[in-house]
Amino acid sequence: MLEFMDYVQHSFYNASHWNTENSYSQLTATARELLEFDTPRGLRLNLSSLSSPNFATSYAIGSVGLVDGALSYLYTSLPLFPVSQSGNIDLHDVIRGYRQIQELRKQEESWMWEEWQGGKRIDKRNTLFYGRLYLPQSTLEALYLRRLSPTQQLKLSAVSDSRLRNGGTILALHQYDTGKYSTETLYSTDGGLVGVRGLYNFGPDPRKGITEPPRTEDRFYGRFSAGAEMYYGALNKSGGVSFGGRFATLPAHKGVPLTATLTMNPLMGNFSTTYAVKAGKNLALCSKFDFNVYSYESDLMLGCELWRMKAKAKKIQERSMAAKLEWRLDEVQETLAEPEEVTGVLKARVDQNWRIGLLWEGRIKELLFTLASSIDMNRPDQPFRAVGLEVQYSS
Amino acid sequence: MAFNFNWSPLTADAEFYKMAQQMLTTALNKSPKPPIIVDDILVNELNLGSVPPELEILEIGDLAEDRFRGIFKMCYSGDAFLTLKTRVQANPLNTYLFSKPSFTSPQPLAASSGLTIPLQITLSEIKLSAFIILVFSRQKGLTLVFRNDPLESLKVSSTFDSIPFVRDYLQKEIEMQLRTLMMDELPAIIHRLSLRLWCPEYRAKEDAELAEAEKLEKEEVAVDPLASPPQDAVDARGNVLNANEISTLSLDGGSEIHSLFSQKNLVRLAALTDSHRTLSLFTPSIRDAVFRAWASPSERNDSAGTSTPATPSLLRSASSPANSSTTYTFSRGSDDGNGHMPSRPSLVSLQSATTGLSLGAGRHSRSHMRKKKNRVVNLRKAKTTDDMAGESGSESASVAASEPIISTRIPEEPEDNIITPPRSPSGKVRFRTSSIDLGDSPHKFRLSTPSRSALSSKAVPEQVILDSTPTMEKDEPIIYSRARRPSLKKPQSQPEKAPAIHLTPAPILSSESLSGSGGIVEQAWVLKMAGEIARRAHDEKASREGFWSGSTVDEREETPPPAYQAKAL
Repeated sequence: MLEFMDYVQHSFYNASHWNTENSYSQLTATARELLEFDTPRGLRLNLSSLSSPNFATSYAIGSVGLVDGALSYLYTSLPLFPVSQSGNIDLHDVIRGYRQIQELRKQEESWMWEEWQGGKRIDKRNTLFYGRLYLPQSTLEALYLRRLSPTQQLKLSAVSDSRLRNGGTILALHQYDTGKYSTETLYSTDGGLVGVRGLYNFGPDPRKGITEPPRTEDRFYGRFSAGAEMYYGALNKSGGVSFGGRFATLPAHKGVPLTATLTMNPLMGNFSTTYAVKAGKNLALCSKFDFNVYSYESDLMLGCELWRMKAKAKKIQERSMAAKLEWRLDEVQETLAEPEEVTGVLKARVDQNWRIGLLWEGRIKELLFTLASSIDMNRPDQPFRAVGLEVQYSS
Repeated sequence: MAFNFNWSPLTADAEFYKMAQQMLTTALNKSPKPPIIVDDILVNELNLGSVPPELEILEIGDLAEDRFRGIFKMCYSGDAFLTLKTRVQANPLNTYLFSKPSFTSPQPLAASSGLTIPLQITLSEIKLSAFIILVFSRQKGLTLVFRNDPLESLKVSSTFDSIPFVRDYLQKEIEMQLRTLMMDELPAIIHRLSLRLWCPEYRAKEDAELAEAEKLEKEEVAVDPLASPPQDAVDARGNVLNANEISTLSLDGGSEIHSLFSQKNLVRLAALTDSHRTLSLFTPSIRDAVFRAWASPSERNDSAGTSTPATPSLLRSASSPANSSTTYTFSRGSDDGNGHMPSRPSLVSLQSATTGLSLGAGRHSRSHMRKKKNRVVNLRKAKTTDDMAGESGSESASVAASEPIISTRIPEEPEDNIITPPRSPSGKVRFRTSSIDLGDSPHKFRLSTPSRSALSSKAVPEQVILDSTPTMEKDEPIIYSRARRPSLKKPQSQPEKAPAIHLTPAPILSSESLSGSGGIVEQAWVLKMAGEIARRAHDEKASREGFWSGSTVDEREETPPPAYQAKAL
């Protein structure tokens, strides 16, 4: 489940029309959500509030052995109006499961951002500041996010911690997204790591006009994307490369939505394939297979996600008193299909070593909760390796 | 004088290699490994080679049949080799990300995917040159300390020899690791090995510990130590308890015992022990209790090595009620309580319990032990017996106090006497034999940890070395202040106490019986001398015999094995 601050951050992306999905680092997002979800440990409470459209606070307290906590504050220059009450938040927004990729949008032109007043430009770039202090570890996380232009974004994140070498690290990430392709350049002060990532979407170019969904129903309608990444650590003289491709169906696809990815690391000889289908409205399945051609090591992982909807009580239509008095039937009203309410989501994964992860997320009254457990079947004496409960309240 | 260093039998023993490999493996995996090592480090092959190290004796500090202290100069350039196996992470990006905060992680998609490579490292052509301090005693095993960094050079060959960068790196890292291993881990390994070799009890103890641990894992249910009666139970005075009497003993049955375990007191004692564990300055006051701090002056003397009759008497006498409480605690903490003390359960647990309580720290206990050793030699004096004849404990204690100069050993006997009610000789007869050797062995037991109470009865001396600190922690929950009280307040009122003493430890009986009546003690002393003389002949026999003989083996110089004694009788 997304933390409140991440939720606010995502609403910042949405409000500023930034497509986070169009990035090479998000290529396997679906598999990650379905297979590599975090299972919290211990008890954790989050208390958050979006006190004004520009300002959010969040407090967390947790106990894993010892009590620790975190204070976080967020400021954004762009007023945000997400649903912030935990009792009303749509669970689809905070629980990430199968990620349906969307049609590419045409990016706004930079002149669209211009605001003029009295012959002067007064428009400002949207920025977001975010800080989180962990206690008692005294670790400080800071994030600076700035939309440079409709196609560019700068993200600076820093961690200050006395236990880290040099007392902390800074990561600078510049993102450039035209829709058709996107590139990212990053630099980390830790080891002088420089990295480049790029993603190219095959198919129609969104800059050249609106694409129409095809009429044929029997063919897969989707998008193929391919990308690569490259890193080089200037100080430790080490590097890494990977290539990847993804095919995913688009919302207009009539059949079963699916996502398939293939990533490979030529240096390390590692191949990884994932395949995810949304088998039903409330069910998604995913599998992942890793293979290393050098060491012949392989790994298989299976996962699923099940959304449980609230059973709707059938409304019994009774004739209204007015209708009875007038000796007539009620007019037939067109009831809009109400969006179903989610009561909970069950996520489960299992790998070839019989390590099982279970996650149950949902809402009780005004509280969002996450209940997680990781089970190791190889140790029958104490299979439960971790159990965690996370409770969130926000207003 | 000649020394015979035998190198090849040691190296020829397959069992030895297996054991050494195991110990090295555990030692290597103990410290947290760098992220580049993704698997356990296994010692694949170990060979000490055929070339023995050159030893040059620089100094011999202490030399006796069963102990040795000396300084050597060692040079080694033999053909020993060691092969290690592990798996390493070959992707530098993977290890790079390992310890980095996720918030600033570049989050590579697949560039960090791992590639683990099996790695085999062979260390050979080891050249050592060091000054070694070697201390050996039959009880404490072998202690070996390097005075300087022993490693001169070694050759590291690995799977990655063809890559010079990796080879140099490995050479450097391994030399560093090996230095720490030699300086820190090796002495510990050798010590443990030596204990296994020379002290069969230690091995038994280790095995028992393993079994214990397994058992503990399976069932953590608290067991009533009195649920299954001990096989040959004795009461405080050493009388054999019959089945009926045993059955009357239960943790919550007897009103006497019940009063000892009043909930309030338990809570207070818990608070008291907790106050040691925390930084809290609050010490709950407990009525009628003697705190260690109050007895400190004499205590200090005690630890200094001089004989102080007064303090020990307090402590010792305390043991009688403490026992019962002790047993109780054990049952909760671990089920040694009844699992392992079939022969003399009360004794063992009691003793260890008292240790924790009455002896504040390991050093005290050690000093006690030292004293005790001396004591045994001219154990039963006519004088002591006089004291004992029928006097109450307080008197005897004072007597001892007044004349500490005479001999260090005297005081201890009277102390124990405090609680001792005058007894009929008939009761004693059976226990005389055991009492003689118990007379000192119990003191050792005190040093052992309660959790290992059962084991403590066996390999005692090792525990002194290894576990003196843990003892303190584990012992804390034990109830002692209450135990002390009676001895202080009413040393004379033995009859009253008698029921409470049911569970009392053998130590008490032993000393009692020693002091109890002159004739018997003298007899015992004679027996003892006989045992002393015949000790050698019976060494093997003693070691072959079970529990009691086992405990005495390492204290041979002090006491003859009881089994032997019984025969002599």
